[in-house]
This record gives sequence, C-alpha cells and structure tokens, in this order.
Amino acid sequence: MTTETLPCSKEDLVQKYHRQIVRKCILIAAVIVGIVLTVGLLSVSTYDSISLTEAYQVIWGHITGVSYEPRSNLWWADRYIWNRALPRAVVAILAGASLAACGALMQSILANPLADPYSTGISSGACFGAVAAIIVGVSYADLAGEAGIVTNAFIGALIPALMIVLLAERIHMTPATMILIGTAISYFFNSLVTFMMVTTDADTLKSAYLWQIGSFDGLTWSSVPVMLAVTVVGCTAVLWLSAKLNVASLGDNTAISLGLDIRKFRIMCLILMSFMTAAVIAFTGIIGFVGIIAPHLVRIFTGADNRFVVPTSMGVGALLLSIADYIALSFADLPVGVIMALIGSPIFFILIIWQRKSTGAIY
Amino acid sequence: MSDGGDVFLADYLRSSRKKVVFIIVMTIAAVGAVLLTLGFGVYTISIPDAISVFWNHVTGQVSWVKADHYVWDVRFPRALGALVVGAGLAFAGAIMQNDMRNPLAEPYTMGIASGAFLGAVLSLVLGFSLIPGLSGDWATVINAFVFSVIPTVVIMIVSQFRKMTPTAMILVGIALLFLFSSISQVLMVTAPAETLADAYNWRVGTLSKVTWDNLPIMAAIVAAICIPLYFLSSKLDVMYLGDRAASTLGVNANRLRLITMLLVSLMTGAVVSFTGTIGFIGLVGPHVARILVGSKNRYLLPASAAFGAAFLILADTLAKVCGPSGLPVGVISAMVGGPLFIYILVRQKKSAWA
Repeated sequence: MTTETLPCSKEDLVQKYHRQIVRKCILIAAVIVGIVLTVGLLSVSTYDSISLTEAYQVIWGHITGVSYEPRSNLWWADRYIWNRALPRAVVAILAGASLAACGALMQSILANPLADPYSTGISSGACFGAVAAIIVGVSYADLAGEAGIVTNAFIGALIPALMIVLLAERIHMTPATMILIGTAISYFFNSLVTFMMVTTDADTLKSAYLWQIGSFDGLTWSSVPVMLAVTVVGCTAVLWLSAKLNVASLGDNTAISLGLDIRKFRIMCLILMSFMTAAVIAFTGIIGFVGIIAPHLVRIFTGADNRFVVPTSMGVGALLLSIADYIALSFADLPVGVIMALIGSPIFFILIIWQRKSTGAIY
Repeated sequence: MSDGGDVFLADYLRSSRKKVVFIIVMTIAAVGAVLLTLGFGVYTISIPDAISVFWNHVTGQVSWVKADHYVWDVRFPRALGALVVGAGLAFAGAIMQNDMRNPLAEPYTMGIASGAFLGAVLSLVLGFSLIPGLSGDWATVINAFVFSVIPTVVIMIVSQFRKMTPTAMILVGIALLFLFSSISQVLMVTAPAETLADAYNWRVGTLSKVTWDNLPIMAAIVAAICIPLYFLSSKLDVMYLGDRAASTLGVNANRLRLITMLLVSLMTGAVVSFTGTIGFIGLVGPHVARILVGSKNRYLLPASAAFGAAFLILADTLAKVCGPSGLPVGVISAMVGGPLFIYILVRQKKSAWA
C-alpha cells in the first residue's frame, strides 16, 4: 500500500501510520455514538411522551434500580421502553455484531468477497428446520409453536457445518471446494424448502416466507440470554483470532509457511461461526445483507487489516441493524431485513464507486 | 528430445480426445433424453407409443389426435426448452466464473435474477407493465427481461468512468441484487397470500411455460450468443490468467469482460424471463464440466453446455413424474444434483481449482 510513498523518511511513515490509527479510532467512536443515539431514538418512538434525554435517564434508572410512582408518566415510560424497545435494540445490536463478525471471518478464511455467514449453507439449513416446523409441524425437539421453530432452526443451521466437518476428513479442503460443498448443501436444503413451500397452501407459504425474510417483531427478553451468551463468547473468539485471519487470507501456501495449519484453522472458524450464526437466526429469521456488506463497508474506510476490520465490522453491523430496526418500528411496518437492504444497498453502491485509493481500499 | 516431444504430443492428443468424447457422449445423452421425456407427463402414454406418435407427426400421419397434442404441442417444446435453458445457463455460468475468476460466480451473480424477479413481481403483484396495454404472461416476460438487464447496464455505465476490477463488479452486483430483492420483498410482504404464492412460484422457475410460441425466441437468442462467445474461448483463457498477464499477451481483459458479461446477461435475461429463475445448473454445471474436462474454455464451454442440457432435461423428466401435477425443475435438480455434486467433489483425485 505504501510502496509509492517509500522515498520518504521514517518519521513521515510513522506519522502517517499514526494518522491512520487515529482515523480508525474516530470511526469506531462514531459508530458507538451512533448506536447509543439509535437506541435512544428507538426508545422514544415506542413511548413518545418523553424526551430523548429522559429516555436515557429511564434506561439508566432501570439498570440502577430506580422505582417510579405507579402509573406516572415515567413509570409507563419505563415499562414500555424496557419491555418493548430494549429487547429489540439489544437483539439488533447482538445480531448485527455477530453476523458482521461472521461475515468478516468467512470472507477471510475463504478469501472471497462473495462469502457471507450463509455461504456454507447455514441459512438454508435453518430455513429447512423452521419451514418444516411451520408447514409440516415437524420438530426435532418435540416442541410446538415458537419454541419449536427456534430449536428446529438452530439445529437445522448446524447440520451443514456438521456435514462439512465430516467431509473435511475425506477431501482436500481448499477455499474453492469448501465454497462449492457449501453451495451444494445450501441448494439441497433450499430445494427441500421450496418443495414444502410450493406444495403448501398460500397462507402457510406466506408465514414461512415471512420467517425467511427475518424480523424482530414479537421479540422479548426471553430470546436474549442464549443469543447474548453465544454472541459475546463468539465475538471475543473472533477478535482473538483476527490476527490469524490476516495470515489465512494470504492464501493457503503462504499461511502454511507462516506456521498456520490452515485446514484445521478453517474448520475451527467454520464451527465457531456456525454456532454464532445459528444462535442469531434461530430467533430472528434469515437477516441478509449485514453479514456481507458490513465488512466491505469497513474495508473501504480502513483497509483490509482484520485486527481493525473485525471489531469495526461488529460496530457497523450493529449500527446498520439498529438504524434499520428504528426505521422499521417507527416509520414503516416492514421486516427489518428489507429496510436495511433497501436503504443500505444504494449507500453501499455509491461508496464502492466513489472509494479513493488513499483510504487504503482493497478493491 | 524428439521422442520426448512425441510422447507429450501423444499424451496431449489422448487427453483432448477424451474431452471430445465426453462432450459427444453428453450431447447424445441429451438428445436421447428428449425421446425419453416424451413418454412422461400428466397424460399416460408409454415411451414407445410416444416415440411412434412423434415419428408419425414428423412424417405427417397423425392418427391418435389426443396423444399427438400432448407429445407434439406440450412435451416436445418443453423438452427442447430444457435443452436450450440447461445449455444456456451452464454456458453462461462457465463464462461468468471465468470473467470473475470466482468459483461462486453464476449467471445470476450480477443481480440478473433479482432484477428479473422484481420485473415479474411488478407485473404479478401490482399489474404494472412496462409496455402500456400489455397484460398477462407477456407483460411479465417483458418486465422481467428489461429489469434483468438493468444491473449489467449499470455496471457498464459505471465502468465507463471508473476502472472496475472483478471484485468491484461483484460488489456492485451485490448492491444491486440487494436493492432489487428488497423492493421485491416490500411488494411481496404487503401482497395478499395468493399473489405472494404466484410470485414465489414464478421465482422457483419451471419449464412448463415453454411452448412453441416462446421456444424459438429463446433458442435463437441462446444460439446467437453462445456461438460467437465460443470463438472467444482462447481469449477467455488468457483473461483467466489475470488482467496484467492478459494485457501483456495482447488481450484487453477489461473490455473483453464487459462484452462477454453483457452478452451473457442478455442471454440469461432472455431465458429467465420465460422460465423464472431456475437455479443450480448455472453454478454447478460448469463445475462438473471443469472436473471432467479441465478449465480450458475450448472444451469447458461446450462441455458445460452439453452437460447442462443433459442434466436439466433428465431432472425435468424426474420432476414431471413427482406428485400429481409435477414439481418445478429447480427443486428436483438441486435435490438430486446437490448430493451428486458433493459425491463428485469428494471423489475427484486432484483439485480442479487452483
């Protein structure tokens, strides 16, 4: 990246590097501020007779255990915000961070810009589980209704990863073969889903279709603990691996000569990512876009060093999904995934076209 | 020295011969499958009967009118449609994977499928037609075709004022794909359940809509685009080496990529607007061909087309006998082809991808 500016002094280079780091830190800070602001706006939009600052006070008050006079304005605000706005906000942040981290992980270990958390068939496996529960009423875990859908989706999401792990013993897993096996698996499960969809009646098809698109409607605190635990552990692990991801994205031969057992590493990453993604989409449905776009957005601004890309992607993913959720809740009664793609893709398009070399972009 | 050269030459000729044999076998299989598939469908006619009915029609001695209608007006165009669609999509997939140097690329990577789907949804859900006064099937077809070409046109325009690497093209394609599919989703979720089911069925794709009315259009477009592209195969080989290597060897990779992409998009758009987005074959067909004949486009392109045609017509034959009214071909091809493809991948001796 810096080859054209080599004939300059060491101090210049150091200064330039520091400036880049400052810019990255500013980006992360801006993202965090954005998320906090969106949570506030979301709270106000669920209970609109309080101001933005009051909303933060109410949230902080609930955490520190402040109690209000029953049926007063703030008492109602507390109930609305804590039970309706915050579960959604927390899920949006967790899901965005988790999917974006998984996207960055997949794009690195497969060295492919088209890769996303769903490249190995996770989404179609989950979809198969959920649609089986919705249409046929079959459940892996003998549970009916919402819980049946969630467990089915979770278990279904892990099947493709399991198949890849089993096949990895028998086949030389280059990124290309892994992608192709993932694609074959996802086509297979998709065909089963399509089979169920086209043979069912129109109303059931509609509810199955709506599950596929992904939505935060009806989420409560009860969905949060599993997702929170898996996401926090998973994201920490991805952050810890991010330096190794840089090595992995250099290609198999280089990675091996730098002392990374790339095959084992790739399988390990795949398992980690499958659990993270499964824990999110089992509750929310297949939320697309954020997993593939967030890492690319970050790379446009900060370059491809995964030590920055991974954490910043998490932040950007969380921000994107929070904003989309805010818009979905307060302006348009549409699933969050649709809103995000609708607004995010033109912005992404413009950024791709107008990116400058100087920001260290890699495309 | 000359002995060594002879050995290499003999070896090369032998491997070339093997590839040609594969292409010929696949072509024969595809044509044979046409006769086979005439015997399958809603109306029961045995395979020998169907073939004799077909032969009688060709020689102009129609005796069994009902069977003649089913065989000649329904099954034969559908069978030829399967050949055209399978060959066209697999050929398009091979070109796209070569252009993008990405094994995940397929005919729909640039957003063609989501563009076509948006066009179809506009017509199916809102009753909107690009050509005023047109309604029904042809409105859907025209809408789907026009919208399917938009992403490629956008990429062409952008590349006029900014140098586009394959990765940047893919990313632009993804952006457009998500934009179109989110608009379609907005229309779908607000539509009544029946309309949503119609739109969903359109997207799954089926060959049952192929008739003598639209088959000639599809066949002409696919032939008119595949044949000239085949003559570019050696240039495509050079492009696969990378843009720098290509320009050293006198091939303008950027221009070649744009031209081939435009042609492939037109072809895919033409196919998809009649049949809906039939998946799997465009992505997997070229990979199977690559495992069997290697990556040299002179063999890969015809092998992909032949394999695509043979596979799709067999899948469609199977799809016709599943359930009382048959299943969409996309469902069967992925259900049978997915595991088959994994098996081929596991069994291959050395990787076909660098």
